Amino acid sequence: MNRLASIFRFFFRRGRFESEMDAELREHYDRQVEQNMARGMSRAEAVRQAAIVVGGVEQLKEECRDARLGRTIETMAQDIRYGLRVLARNPGFSLAAILTLALGIGANTAIFSLVYGVLLRPLPYMHGEQLVVLHQDAPGANVLDYPFSVKEIDDYREQNHTLQGMAEHHTMNFLLIGKETAERVETAVVSANFFEVLGVKPLLGRTFVAGDEGHGAPAVLILSYKYWQTHQGGDPQIVGKVFQMNNHPHTVIGVLPPIPQYPVESDVYMPTSQCPTRSSAGFINNRNARMMTVFGRLKPGVTLSEARADLAVIAASTQKAYPGIYLAADGYRVRPDGLRDDLTQRARTMFLVLLGVVGFVLLAACANVANLFLARLLKLERELAVRSALGAGKARLMRQLLTESVLLAVGGGLVGVVLAPFALQVLTGFAGRFTTRAAEVRMDGPVLLFTFLVSVGTGIVFGLAPVLTTSGWLGTAFQQASSRGTASRGRSRLRSALVVAQVAFSVILLAAAGLMMRSFVKMQQVRPGFAPDRLITMRISPGMPPYTMKTARLLTDRILDRIRTAPGVESAAMGTTFPFNPAGLVFGPSQNQYLVQGRPHGPGEPTMTTDVRVVTAGYFETIRQPIVKGRSLTQHDCELASPEVVVINQTLARNQFAGEDPIGKRVSFDKGETWVEIVGIAGDVREYGLNQPAVGEIYGALRDGFVNRLVVRAGGNAETAEQTLRAAIHELDPLLAIDQVQTVEHAEYESLEPPRMMTFLMGIFAGLALLISASGIAAVMALSVSQRTREIGVRMALGARRSSVVAMVVRQGIVLTVAGIAAGTLVAAPLTKLLASMLYGISPTDPLTFAAIPVIFLLVAAVACFVPARQATSIDPLTALRQE
Amino acid sequence: MAKLKADLLQGTLDLLILKTLELEPMHGWGVTQRIQQVSDSVLQVNQGSLYPALHRLEEQGWIRASWGTSENNRQARYYELTARGRKQLAEEKENWLRLSGAVARIVGT
Repeated sequence: MNRLASIFRFFFRRGRFESEMDAELREHYDRQVEQNMARGMSRAEAVRQAAIVVGGVEQLKEECRDARLGRTIETMAQDIRYGLRVLARNPGFSLAAILTLALGIGANTAIFSLVYGVLLRPLPYMHGEQLVVLHQDAPGANVLDYPFSVKEIDDYREQNHTLQGMAEHHTMNFLLIGKETAERVETAVVSANFFEVLGVKPLLGRTFVAGDEGHGAPAVLILSYKYWQTHQGGDPQIVGKVFQMNNHPHTVIGVLPPIPQYPVESDVYMPTSQCPTRSSAGFINNRNARMMTVFGRLKPGVTLSEARADLAVIAASTQKAYPGIYLAADGYRVRPDGLRDDLTQRARTMFLVLLGVVGFVLLAACANVANLFLARLLKLERELAVRSALGAGKARLMRQLLTESVLLAVGGGLVGVVLAPFALQVLTGFAGRFTTRAAEVRMDGPVLLFTFLVSVGTGIVFGLAPVLTTSGWLGTAFQQASSRGTASRGRSRLRSALVVAQVAFSVILLAAAGLMMRSFVKMQQVRPGFAPDRLITMRISPGMPPYTMKTARLLTDRILDRIRTAPGVESAAMGTTFPFNPAGLVFGPSQNQYLVQGRPHGPGEPTMTTDVRVVTAGYFETIRQPIVKGRSLTQHDCELASPEVVVINQTLARNQFAGEDPIGKRVSFDKGETWVEIVGIAGDVREYGLNQPAVGEIYGALRDGFVNRLVVRAGGNAETAEQTLRAAIHELDPLLAIDQVQTVEHAEYESLEPPRMMTFLMGIFAGLALLISASGIAAVMALSVSQRTREIGVRMALGARRSSVVAMVVRQGIVLTVAGIAAGTLVAAPLTKLLASMLYGISPTDPLTFAAIPVIFLLVAAVACFVPARQATSIDPLTALRQE
Repeated sequence: MAKLKADLLQGTLDLLILKTLELEPMHGWGVTQRIQQVSDSVLQVNQGSLYPALHRLEEQGWIRASWGTSENNRQARYYELTARGRKQLAEEKENWLRLSGAVARIVGT
């Protein structure tokens, strides 16, 4: 407080400060004179002696002012004002520097917004750092992260000592029944304490209480903010409203605030008692009936590793108690992970790679601007010499130069902050593919603070390099003040080093982008294993009730019979899912246990699991997945009375029946109680994306129940077939909900969107760096030409040909470029290994990519050198020599 | 006669000023006279070191300045210790005594 007052006085009571200082020093001086006279000096002598003792008054006053805090601020303000004037006087230089920096800083701001919003920002829940999500693994059986059964949840809930609450979550198929149509709502089924454990307070009404979960409790609903807004018009009177869902009335009791939902976005929430499967005694008592995700909240002060140890003890005793369920060879374990890390895990590598990439862009921009700055310093040399002759301290001059560079960087930062939101829009959509946290990405305080620090840091880095190398310039500047300065060797070496650095940074980025591009091309060349053209798919959800598992089986036949006769339909089938299903891309293959007949499961052997798809007859024919051996599934196979048969794919045949003929062999999905025969082998399909290898698949025939994916090959245009299909299905029953309509080609395109976007972004950033370093090369060559005007003039006067002058300039630029390429390649080779998990079909040190980049770069460098070289040939020898 | 080198012994000069102001508020001239007198003219503080030091100490909040009338009826700027200044003086005094004692023990043997 005192200090603030003192600073205030220094600035706003300056007149008084000065006059008081004057009066005080005058008083001291007078007394000195009096004392001298009292000692017997004459007046004149007394005054002379006093002046000697007192010394220079102005210098003393300056020292007194310097003792004040306000003074520091004052000098800084002076530096800034002066810096702004200087920058305004050189608009070309300032604009080039600010734009270059704006690109670098803007890119960093945008990517950091993404990284901060997704990876770093605390969860928007009460004490989000305490939230964990539990996973069960069986690494021995290659199964990671499988869901929980009610029994397992009970074990952990009752026996743990480290969690203050545990909540469960699963999703369910519910239809909202209107007057004439039905609509499927994404429904989350949660334990009554779910919102309490997560620490979410409702926007309207209330969240669940224990009573809502009781047997026979009235059915209640909580709406998500988004669903309330988009489907209910944000109706403020929504609480108490009754919805017909699955033929039951459900009362709305609350609306959630606009928070991101974990683990998936849902429209409505219901307590577990509303889910018929979850509340059936058979499900509750079956330790193997697993479908729930489990969240927990750590007790205050408990660390994640303490919770891990605590739950591991429970897992070990569970494993001991049920050795038939948790095989020793499977290595059963439970693993609590921080919720934030878990939710963002799929995005982490990509985002960190992008952050690294924009870091290199900024470094290239820094090196570029440092060079511009250095070039300008050369022109300033005379001015600096004059100022130092007039008494400006070296420290003060250096501070002045640093102020200028920081001003430039902050200017670049401001422009960058204006540019960043445009990039952010694209980036947020991209992030939404990996995490529900994408909605939390925005440019706010922490991001702007980051940008500010990066800007200032950038300014210091590129300002300091040239300033430091000017140590000793004071002396030389004096000598050169009157003559035309020749470039000092140290500084031209620094300029070359900066060009080499820019090229090296760009080469690293080009290598990364080149690898991504090559990999992407490889992905696109992958054959999917079926024919995606003209295939249209949709999800059909019947209400259960009125349908039951039995009647739904008949519904499947009725739907297919009706559709197959519709105009423009070539063939149609239904299945549990379809290739490139977006949900499948996220969650990966299912892991169903199975046994092969004649191969008893020995003790100590891990569980065998496989992906399983259930399909109707005509599925392989509709998507044109070839049957390479044996036969396809027929309508006859889909009758309950017929013997149960399956088709496997080539990968499973290769992995499990190497050297044998799988056809006629039998497998079991219920530990050997019933056996089903393998009747055919289908070709491999890239079910989980073109860039994912085919996994072992068993295709079963639909005999019972319902599968909700309709796949149709349209005779003509797939997109126009949608209306025909909808009409045909609703003709059967208008209350069948239809959603997720899309073409398989679109799903295929979408499946490559992450690598496409990464390739695009890295390509943009590498292009930016290439542009920056090309302009850097051109600028340095131009400067070098203008400094060598005399030399070139002499050469030309002595008969040097134009072409040899051009060659001389270009050679100089090419030498720097080659050095940069060599340095960049050396650094890039180990760095690109970090990309390995994102690459398909090529190695991170792909020779073709690494060979192509020098060629591209040399071409660009040659063009960049050509302009200054042309300028060199236009030098008139006479003018050049006459200038002396 | 030893002249006080301000840059070398800035901490010492601060201590001398604070100590001098401990008894009563004083103006700048008075401080130089008192130091000279008490040290038997061994220490002479010149104006060039004194006033920047006074400004610095005031900026630190250890002394406070106000205008008063001097013994010969002239307006003078008087400096007095603040509460924080007294605390600072106690600390610096102790440091000094410990340091000078240690130096004396080494040099004296």
